[in-house]
Amino acid sequence: MDVNDTLRIVIVGHVDHGKSTLIGRLFYDTGSLPEERYREIEKTCREQGREFEFAYLMDALEEEREHNITIDTAQTFFRTAKRPYVIIDAPGHKEFLKNMITGAAAADAAILLVDGAEGVQEQTRRHAYILSLLGLPQVTVAVNKLDLVGYRRERFREIEEEIRRFLGSVGIVPSYIVPLSAREGDNIATKSSRMPWYDGPTLLSALDSFSPAREATGLPLRFPVQDVYVWGGKRIYAGRVESGTVRPGDRVAFSPTGKFSLVSTVEKWNRPDCPQASAGECVGITLEDELFLERGEVMGARENVPAAAREVSASIFWLGNAPLRLNQRYVLKLATSESEVTLSAIPERINSSTLEIIERHADRVENLEVANVTFTLHRPMAVDTFEENQRLGRFVVAEDAFVAGGGIVREVWSDTVGAQARVIRLDVRLMTEPDGNFVDLSREAGPIEFDLSPGFLDRLEGGEKVAIRLRTADQLETLARLAFGHRMGFEFRREGEGGKVVLFRERPVRLPAAEETGPVI
Amino acid sequence: MDHLDALENQSIYIFREAFRKFKDLAMLWSIGKDSTTLLWLARKAFFGRVPFPLVHIDTNFKHPRMIAYRDRMAREWGVDLIVGRNEEALCAGMEPAKGRFQCCNALKTQGLQQILEKHGFKGVFLGIRRDEEGSRAKERVFSPRDKNFEWKYKDQPPELWDQFNTSFGPETHVRIHPLLSWTELDVWEYIRREQVPVCDLYFARDGKRYRSLGCVPCNSPIESKAGSIAEIVEELKVTKTPERAGRAQDHEAAYMMQKLRSLGYM
Repeated sequence: MDVNDTLRIVIVGHVDHGKSTLIGRLFYDTGSLPEERYREIEKTCREQGREFEFAYLMDALEEEREHNITIDTAQTFFRTAKRPYVIIDAPGHKEFLKNMITGAAAADAAILLVDGAEGVQEQTRRHAYILSLLGLPQVTVAVNKLDLVGYRRERFREIEEEIRRFLGSVGIVPSYIVPLSAREGDNIATKSSRMPWYDGPTLLSALDSFSPAREATGLPLRFPVQDVYVWGGKRIYAGRVESGTVRPGDRVAFSPTGKFSLVSTVEKWNRPDCPQASAGECVGITLEDELFLERGEVMGARENVPAAAREVSASIFWLGNAPLRLNQRYVLKLATSESEVTLSAIPERINSSTLEIIERHADRVENLEVANVTFTLHRPMAVDTFEENQRLGRFVVAEDAFVAGGGIVREVWSDTVGAQARVIRLDVRLMTEPDGNFVDLSREAGPIEFDLSPGFLDRLEGGEKVAIRLRTADQLETLARLAFGHRMGFEFRREGEGGKVVLFRERPVRLPAAEETGPVI
Repeated sequence: MDHLDALENQSIYIFREAFRKFKDLAMLWSIGKDSTTLLWLARKAFFGRVPFPLVHIDTNFKHPRMIAYRDRMAREWGVDLIVGRNEEALCAGMEPAKGRFQCCNALKTQGLQQILEKHGFKGVFLGIRRDEEGSRAKERVFSPRDKNFEWKYKDQPPELWDQFNTSFGPETHVRIHPLLSWTELDVWEYIRREQVPVCDLYFARDGKRYRSLGCVPCNSPIESKAGSIAEIVEELKVTKTPERAGRAQDHEAAYMMQKLRSLGYM
């Protein structure tokens, strides 16, 4: 690992919890603030009859300084003995969440700033939740302004406990929780003598322990075609290797078309006979066969290409001024592909600060809310789940050509399952109402197959049940096999011409020793 | 992959994205180190060719050595060069003495505006960087200007995961900033690594060198002994003077750069 690699840090948190001041302090304490910048800020502050304000370093726009707030994200640079840093300041105001997300999406790691006097606030929670949706795993919490509470250990412990609990609920484990005062310089670069009860690292040593987001070299190959150049008698597929490695001679295939070929060359300017390209590299690829591929096709190893999705379920954040609406059309952009989509279900609408479910089976998602949704794609697109591959599992939603939301893919449904049989999808969409979990198969005359999602099983695990109305004994058999294979409980009752089955997750049941004969399926 | 590789690949990705999305593209070449690095990256992105013209806005106040360097490189690299001048303003005698704000706005901003209109360019590559000055730090990679050339910095669309906004109104042109994430030091380290030829005004003569190239009347050299690229890199690692310290228009009044840029200055 190159220890000199720059680390990009985003600083997030509630408005007025001291982000811009902390940045000024980081600069000052690492000797990274150019004298002239310091004098320029001093001069501007004096002209406006204010005390010296570190925040002016990042808040460059006149409106920002006038109102003492950060409006847009900005980036600036400092270095420690270990390496250079890019600091991304993200606005704490609710109205500027899109700018916060723009900043945070570009970071390797985050500092979540909490005011030691005010404690965890609305944007503290919202920003933490957004960090988890952006997949930013390296988070340090900075509990600021401890000078205002007399550097009391008890106060710090309270906040520490509160924030740890909240972060846990969104799946973030903070690397460190550092008590500090940005204004006074406690525990920023040097250990503070005013908090002898704290034995963890200073903020700067906490940052030094992080590593730049690794290129996904260890994952399977993903090469989305960005453009096609036909130059100098060659058809060059330009793109960036998003994960894995590609070499001449590799047997490759493309999703969603399913075309396949062999890699002929890896092209770089002034690099003849380039032996390979790995994650992060922008290169050109030529193939042995003339395939006429378009932008948006994703190349993988022949036996491992992403699914050609027809439908995706996802967690999204919505930034549009107008609500995101059920059954409306949007454009989904993922890596280099885009497709018109219909928002076909909103199982859960969530308050992005409190994490409360506002509504199940919703018909809209409002500005700043988070939701679990399903999109139906109007044409197939190569998609991985976010868990499998972040690069191919995250997307933005455009409305009227502008990016108005983003999200991560939880589940992918493709066309390839079951050629003749009709595929019945058992997914979380069926289960958004406590007693409304019902599938009607009474009109399905032909053979069926079930496509079961992990989310579905999770819900059963949580105690939910699903009722299924049947038409034929064949359907009963298929269902029974499904239940058997996935350790589901199974209750059957004959009803009229057909029958009814209730599925639930089998819990360990102790049968009396004498009754060995269980239900036969 | 090291830090410079990561920056280089990011810039190439942006170039290719813009090339895919816009028909009428041009690249602003100010002759300085940044836009020359940009030109180098364009050649990498497109396997040695530059598939769009270069535009130089000549204020008539540029150093003769800049112009000589420009013409030599354009010939050597075989690029399509368009030189734009706001002739009307120059004939009317526009100069810094008439006010720096007015002069920058007329000779640079309006000079650029005229060229874009004349050729119908919809997308323009610029070599600005976030670490140069405050209002540039707030920029997006793809940044639209409306028909009046204005930058709506108060309400920029989100930009994440390399999904750039590339559809805008018919009367808008888009600034594309492939170097936005680079620092001054990154640029020089890259120039050293790639051996990119740069204008010799950057190298110290008689104890002075230009750290940033601009118009002669409004740009002063800094004290420096750095006579080579390697020495410049070493100098930058320890300096506490900002890059644009010698650029008079940055220091004329508070928020002058923001105001110039909201009107379409680069």
